Formats: sequence, C-alpha cells, structure tokens
Amino acid sequence: MTADQIREYLEPRRHEFADPRSLVLPALKFAQTGRGYLTREDMEAVAEATGYSASYVESVATFYDRVYTEPVGTRVVSVCVSMSCQLRGADQVWEALCDKEGVDHHHGGTSADGRITVQEAQCLGYCDRAACIQVDAEETQGPHTPDSARALVDELRAAPDPDEYWR
Amino acid sequence: MADYARVDLDAENQVTFELNGRQVSAPAGTMLVDACYAHGVEVPIFCYEPRIGPPVGACRMCLVEVEGMRGLQTACSTPVRPDMVVRTDSPAAKDGQEGVLEILLMNHPLDCPVCDKGGECPLQDRSFKFGGGKSRFFEGKRHFPKPLELSSRIALDQERCISCFRCVRFSQEVAQDGQLTMQERGVQSQITTFSGDAYEDRFTGNIIDVCPVGALTSIPYRFVARPWDITNTPSVCGLCPVGCNTELTLRDGDVKRVTGRPDPNYEVEEGWLCDVGRWGFDGDGGITRLTRAIVRDANGERHTDLTDAVAAATVALRGASKPVGVLLGATATVEEAAIALELAGGALAGARVARLGIPAAPLAALRATPRAQLDEIERADLVAVVGGDPGLAQPITELRMRKAVLRNGARLVTIGSRPGTLADVATHVHAAPGALTAAVAELAAQIGATGRPVVLWDEAELAAEPAAAEALAEAVSANGATRQIELGADVNGAGLRALGIPATGLLEALEAGELGALLTVRADPRSAPGRVAWEAALEGDVPVVALATHADRTTDAATVVIPVQSLLEQEGTLVSMTGRAQRVRRGAEGPAGAAPGWEVLIALGHHLGAPPAYRTASAALAAAGGRYAGIEGLTYDAMGVGGVELPRPAADHLAADAGPARAAGSDGLALVATRDVYGGREASRAPALAAFHAPAAATVSPATAAALDVTDADTVTLTSPYGAASLPVRIVDGLSDDAVFVTLGTADAAAEALMPPDRGPVRVGVSVEARR
Repeated sequence: MTADQIREYLEPRRHEFADPRSLVLPALKFAQTGRGYLTREDMEAVAEATGYSASYVESVATFYDRVYTEPVGTRVVSVCVSMSCQLRGADQVWEALCDKEGVDHHHGGTSADGRITVQEAQCLGYCDRAACIQVDAEETQGPHTPDSARALVDELRAAPDPDEYWR
Repeated sequence: MADYARVDLDAENQVTFELNGRQVSAPAGTMLVDACYAHGVEVPIFCYEPRIGPPVGACRMCLVEVEGMRGLQTACSTPVRPDMVVRTDSPAAKDGQEGVLEILLMNHPLDCPVCDKGGECPLQDRSFKFGGGKSRFFEGKRHFPKPLELSSRIALDQERCISCFRCVRFSQEVAQDGQLTMQERGVQSQITTFSGDAYEDRFTGNIIDVCPVGALTSIPYRFVARPWDITNTPSVCGLCPVGCNTELTLRDGDVKRVTGRPDPNYEVEEGWLCDVGRWGFDGDGGITRLTRAIVRDANGERHTDLTDAVAAATVALRGASKPVGVLLGATATVEEAAIALELAGGALAGARVARLGIPAAPLAALRATPRAQLDEIERADLVAVVGGDPGLAQPITELRMRKAVLRNGARLVTIGSRPGTLADVATHVHAAPGALTAAVAELAAQIGATGRPVVLWDEAELAAEPAAAEALAEAVSANGATRQIELGADVNGAGLRALGIPATGLLEALEAGELGALLTVRADPRSAPGRVAWEAALEGDVPVVALATHADRTTDAATVVIPVQSLLEQEGTLVSMTGRAQRVRRGAEGPAGAAPGWEVLIALGHHLGAPPAYRTASAALAAAGGRYAGIEGLTYDAMGVGGVELPRPAADHLAADAGPARAAGSDGLALVATRDVYGGREASRAPALAAFHAPAAATVSPATAAALDVTDADTVTLTSPYGAASLPVRIVDGLSDDAVFVTLGTADAAAEALMPPDRGPVRVGVSVEARR
C-alpha cells in the first residue's frame, strides 16, 4: 500500500478524529487490506501519510490484536473466550478449531496450508448468542458448537479469497 | 541528583503546606516530589525526570497521602497547594509504595550480581529503602532474548525494564529522533525501534544515564567494573568548545566510562552528553598514542625517556640564534598557555607565541556584546543560528534549541549555507557562502521586534565574513534584551584568547626566516588550515619541539617529540565558547612515558635557566590569574566543580589579530569548511564510535553535481590558491549551490590543505579525477 493510497483513504475520514494521532489506526487497518498483514513498507507508508515516525506507527500496530505485523492466514477466525461464551462451551469450540487446524492450544496460530488463522478474542459483545465467532471483520456469528465451527472453517477454506482483507 | 528538579526556596510566590507534620514552603506550581526533596524528604521515583519533560505518572512509585484527596496521589504530578497536608511516611503511603515496588519487581529478574547497574541502581536502592522485602509472585517471570544490541553501543536487557518510558521520552522529546518506542502491551511491552533497526543517532548514550534499572547499559562498559571498583571524577569534555561537564569513571588507572554528571551543570549541558563526548575516550589510547619520547638528530631517530627528551628540547631551543616560536593548539590548557607565555617572557625571551585558531580581530566587536550561557536559550522566544551546523560542531546546543522549540514554543531560525540537523524544527533562511551580511540585516529586523532573542553565531563562518560580524554585533547591541552565544571552533580558543594570544604572526615570522626554532604544544600545524604553507615554512632546518598526545604529521617530522598526557589524564583549565572557565581533572594515569603538558613546560623553564616560581598546575593558574586581565583572579577554588564565567573581552581585545584582507575572487566554487565532531579525528580513533566513521568527502548539492557532471561514485580534485585535495563526491539535498562542503579535522586533513592559515574565504576549482 502506498502513502498516496493511504492519504486518499484518510482524507474523507479526517474530520472524524479530533486528535490527528487517532488517524494512525484507520490508516493501519486500511494498509492491511492489501495483504492481510503489514510489511515494513506498509508501516513506513502509514508513517509518511500520517506524519508520525515509523517507530510510533509500529508501536500502535503492535498494541492491537487485529493489526498484524507478521503474515497470517487468508481468513482469521476469532473465537470469543470471555465469560458468557466460556459458560456456553467456548473452550470446546476453541479446542476443536485448534485441533482441526493443527495449531497450539495456548496461542492458536495459522494452519500449515496458510488458509486459516485461529485466535482468541475477548468479549465480542455477542453474549446472547454465545459461543460466538468472528471471521475477519465480518459480523459476529453464533451460537457455535464444535461441529458448527468445524463446518465454518471448511466453508471458509472452500470460498474464494477476499478482494480486500479487512480485519 | 538530576532526578529531581531544582527548587528555589527563596523565590517569591511561596506556598506553605504541611509535610510529615512540618510546615514547609515551595514556589507555587512546584511538583510535590521536588518540594519534598528540597526539604530533605525523598519520595521514590522512577519515571519522573524533569529534564525530559512534564511528568507522565507511568511508574506509580511516588505515591503519597494527601489529606482530603481520595486514594494516594502521585507526587510527581501533584503540584503543591496552600495548606495541603502531605504524608510520605504514613502507613497508607508506605503500603502504596511497597505495593508498587512489589509489582515492579514481579517480572524483574533478580540478577543484580551479574547486572552492570548493580550497586548504582535506583531500583535496587529504592527497593532497599522503600520496598517491603517480600514478593507474593510465584509464577514464572517473563523472558526475552538477551542481551539485545539496541545499537552498536547500547545493550538492552528487556526483562529488567520496568516500562518507565524515560528512554522513549528522551528519544521522542529531547533528542527528537523519533526512534525508540514501546511496542506490544501489558506484560509483553518492550522498548524497541522500528522493525528492530539499530538505534543509531547522535545522542543515544543519554538513555543509559536516565535508565533507572539495568535495562540499558553501555556495551563498551559491559562487565568492565563494579561500582565498588571505581572512583568517579568530575571533569570537562575536551572534544568540542561547549565544555560539557562530565564524570570520568576510573578503574586500574584507566578511564572506563564517561557519563553525564549526576548533578548536571544547567548552564552548560544540563546533564546530557553527545555520543562522541561519552565514548570518545575510547580513542585516547590506541596505536597512535605517543608513549615514548623521540629525539631525531644527526644520528637518526631514537626513543628515549622524558628527562633526556627535555634536555634535547632545551638544546634545540637554546641553540637557536633567533627568537623561538611557540604554537599552542586548540586543546592546550590555560595553564600550559600561561607557562608558555612566561617562558616567552623569560627563558625564551623574545619568543613569539601564537595559537592555532581563527584570528580574533574580525569578531572582537561581536564578542563584546552581551553574552549568555546555554540555559538562556530556554528562556528565549526567538533563537537564531547564524552560520554553521551546531548539531554537528557543538552538539549539545542542539538539545537546548529543540527544548526551546518543543517545550517553550520558541521560534528557531537557522541562517546559512545548509539547513543542518535542526531542519525539522527550524525555519531555514538560506544564505550562500559570502552572503551572510544580507541575511543578518534581515535578522536584525526580527530581533528588534522580539522580546527575548538569543543569537548563536558560528565563529568560523562569521570570521570569514567580517561585515556580517559587524552587522550582527550592531543588531545584538541595538536591542538591550538580545543575548549572543558564540558557536566556537576551537576547544580552548576562548582560554587562549583570554591570555591575549593571537592566531596570526607566527607563521609569517617563520616564513620571513625570523624564527630559530618552534615549540608546539598540542598543536599540529601540518594538519591545520594552511597546512601547505606551514609545511613549506617548516621545510628548512628549523628545529621543532613537539608536545603531543598522539602521533601526527608534526610529531612525525619533529626534532624532539615529548609525549604529554591527554585531557583525561592531567589537570587543566579550559574556557568554553561561552566564556566559562572549567576544570579538567586527572582521570586516567596515562602512558608511563608521558607527563602533563604543564609539567614539561615547567621542566623546560628549569632547564633553560629561568625556572617559573611554581611547581603545580594550580599554582601556575593562580600566578596567571594574577597577571592576565582576561582571567583575573582565576583559581581552582574559584572555579569549584561547576566553573565560573569569565568577563567578556573588551571590544578592542586582540584588535591586531587579523590575517591579510583576502578577496575570495569569483573563480570556481566557494569552499565551506564544516566542523563535525562525529567525523573528526578524535571520533575516528574510538572503536566504540565505529558507527559514525565515514570517509571525508567533497559534499555538493544535486544542482552543483549536475553542473560539474559528477555523481557520488566519482572522485574529484579540489584546487585552491593554497593547496589541493582529492576527495570522493557526496551529494546532499538542501546545500548551497556552487559550493563544496568539506569537513575539517578528518584524518586526511583535506579541507585544511585548501585553506589559508587564517581560514579566510576560499574558492576552489574542481576537476574530475576518477569516474567509477
């Protein structure tokens, strides 16, 4: 993503933010839509477009869970592990997905074929339909069981790649 | 301690409050931590550092109880208010402090026995003093790879970090290099740079000094000494004319470390040091250091001891049928200069004494105008830099100017042929070399319209343009509130001038065959501006006695070479560019074959049959203080630990010290001889500063490069009426067109070869020597 593209994206949104530092986050999320994660060049472009130092931009990027500075899967599946979901079997959903994708039970991770990343999320605000899952930045869905979650990633794996990676 | 801000208990607007049952007072607006410290009550802190900026309350260490306020308050960010009741030692306050320390130590490894900070560590000291001595944390501590090389000079032990943000704030708000940040969050928080790049910049070492734990340590000092192995000596940096106050760490007779003073000199460096000042000591030894005296005579060259060498020097100097010349280098101390003058009045009667430096006459009027110390920059509303690039030549001044802009909202204007290191915070007014006068006239109007202007002016560039210097002197004195600060070129130039020593006359006398021998004191005329002329004048059979620390072009050819101690090894006095006389103290022992310069000169006096009436440096200075008006009454006692400001020179001081009038002509390109302590000879000797080492270059603007049809792969030969030099081309944006920028003081002394001895304006012809 180039600095010019980022500037063009930010310009109509600039008025929404009283503190210009707040522009860094939307800029990062937009810069990420190209690859699904940020490269060094992407962060330098954000720095150029927002006028902050590259190291500051990176500090913002590393603060947030949904901004990635390392490659992740084509689709990112976030499993809510907060209290309501836990009470409704989120642990089983989480473990089922980790086992299916062959990733670590503690930290989640990306499947060997690079298609699916499984990660924990804190409360997604969908407690009435726990246990819930969010795919990329799509609308949260639930309630899920281990079986429905496995079916979901099968669907995702079969689906075409998204044009833009909003996460 | 630098940790707490100074509090003026005599200022007006005092506020009275109760502190631990006592009635005390402090000026309104004072932060509680500082007010407590001023009254002998230590409130523990980690993140608070008033030199870096306003409090951030990141570490929560300074919790105190304030009656009527809910919960405990952070004393670093709570200003004193009338009649507030503060308790720092109540059970509630103590419980808060113990709790914070327990949290800070939760993830902190207890590796103090192998930590460089151990023994001089604020976290260690405050844990003992304010901690509960227990931990309820049984889980595993966090781990990071270690040690990380944050740069070639700084090691980072991430797990020791308590996330106080001092280093990040130094980088962002003081040096403003924008490089250090905190990444990730919570327990994973870590100090790093963008993509883990090396933190290479010019003031990076200060983060070691401000780190309150052992997270940031100096790589050259890693595992070198323990605090109980060392002694610390307050001294002054001798690598540039700013005169930053330093502390030398000694072990086994060697300087192992240089740091800012724990009690900073707020009128000079404010406790900060540039990386050359911090690690330049590393180059004091090394293979070029002279460790044995050399005598060259009809029988060839022989190494000898000091006594023999002084005897040989006496023969060389006394044997001269004509008067002797005495040449003092920029780092010759006031004592050495004063003894040399005494020899010239007695043992070497008739000797001509001069310094290697810039003639004083063109700048006399400007120097006589009201002067300021560096702290005045903070109080200014307009800061103007006329000529030069202080961030490279007088580095620590840059931090003051950045502070003036960022924290106090001052306007910063730089005037000259290059935007320099302040380009991101300054308005740059371009003035081509030789065209400063017009720019100064414009500045004069701005000064007139400002309440509190401070003008920093470059000695070398204004000496080359006397009309601009005159105009600036008028502009400064026109407005009673304006203060000026000289950006000096020579380390002790002001000290040598205070003794009335001119920069001119000696070479002319040598060229006219009037001198029978030359004595140099820390001077290398064969590497100095005008070195071609010096070399020609020394071609004949004039014997040279050289007192020097390192081998150079002069010692390579001298009749007698006497090794002297460096400014880390001997007593002395240096006068900074702002006229502060400050003491250099003995740190290292130095090579066995070297003696203090002042001692060698006194010994010469004895051998020549006219012994001075003193035997020590302090007595030599006291004698000089009684003789020379410029340093009247100056003694070691008077200077104390922070130095004293000498009176400003009169407007007619050294009025005859002028080179011949030189017209620059109009052929070729203007030569701008720049100063860069990071690229200078001293820095290039220091292995710790390897990241700064770069070859000398002929630097030009892109337009000039295009006009010359050269790229940065080419090598060019520069030719002036005074000499020639071959240099690789470097192309840099923003520079004056039709000018060539060459750094002074590099190992090959290229710029010096192109210049006349009195520096003067120079134009050079350029021819392409090699294309890649």
